Amino acid sequence: MKVQGWMFLLCGVFFAAVDLVYWFWSKDPTGTTALGITVGLAFMIGYYLLYTAARIGPQPEDDKQAEVADGAGEIGFYSPHSWWPLFVGLAAALTFFGFVIGWWLFMIGVALTILATIGWVFQYYRGNFAH
Amino acid sequence: MLPVATASAVTAKTAHSSRRPNLVSVGTIVWLSSELMFFAALFAMYFTIRSVSLGQGLKWPDAHLNVPFALFNTIILVLSSVTCQLGVWAAEKGQVKKLRFWYIVSFLMGAWFIGGQVVEYLELAAQHTTLSSSAYGSVFYLTTGFHGLHVTGGLIAFLFMLGRTYAAKRFTHEQATSAIVVSYYWHFVDVVWIALFLTIYFIQ
Repeated sequence: MKVQGWMFLLCGVFFAAVDLVYWFWSKDPTGTTALGITVGLAFMIGYYLLYTAARIGPQPEDDKQAEVADGAGEIGFYSPHSWWPLFVGLAAALTFFGFVIGWWLFMIGVALTILATIGWVFQYYRGNFAH
Repeated sequence: MLPVATASAVTAKTAHSSRRPNLVSVGTIVWLSSELMFFAALFAMYFTIRSVSLGQGLKWPDAHLNVPFALFNTIILVLSSVTCQLGVWAAEKGQVKKLRFWYIVSFLMGAWFIGGQVVEYLELAAQHTTLSSSAYGSVFYLTTGFHGLHVTGGLIAFLFMLGRTYAAKRFTHEQATSAIVVSYYWHFVDVVWIALFLTIYFIQ
């Protein structure tokens, strides 16, 4: 993770340099702000990756002698299958369709989106998965 | 003759740490960085329309902004980040009751901020500053409105997070992760607001 972290930080340094040149050349606040926020994008990820790397200790991806098997083990929790993202997507699509058709459809869409999101967030908290 | 003569398969080095990065946290940060670019577009829009409007001799800001009121609400929002972080520290220690308390406090402070924004919008609408009244009106409502939607999303996330702690009998590592990533989002929305506030109310 260290290599990835430094890659993002170096990108941030590059964008910062470009941003300074851009400002002195153009005096354009629009591009300067957008580039400044791009610096934020790169530094945010870079800092977080290095911070995580420091917290979790040495990782196989930073070791040139590492074997593929060193990265084995639990990566995280992934839902094996779920209908909820489909319902969330359909409800969100209906909500945006409401902008075209009318506010009444928009409100129905918002209500359905909230219900679908509740279903998604609590999928592994009820029924067989209650814990 | 030995059956095996080449490099040893076993190195003196011990196996790697089994601790892997928490992908929910890393993913949240990567997603938030894309959110940052969404707001970059809004800032770019603000500054472009500002410079064009000033170039055409139009009034900017074309509204009577209530700066002290907005400043007060901003302070509430910034303090809600502090209470949210207190909740995270409780979550990391597994103190679910403290976590709930601080997240409910943060929720109420965020709700106060949204309420303040509604009051502010009503005041401006009474002065005939609307989304379609002028370029300034459009820019003002789009930037602050999209931020307000993000705060509202954060409030819903607080409710979901709290709901998860009540739905489960035990406070698990997964719930702590949820609490932490909700706090990342909340801090992010807070920092974006500070930038928006300085741009719209102070630099103008």
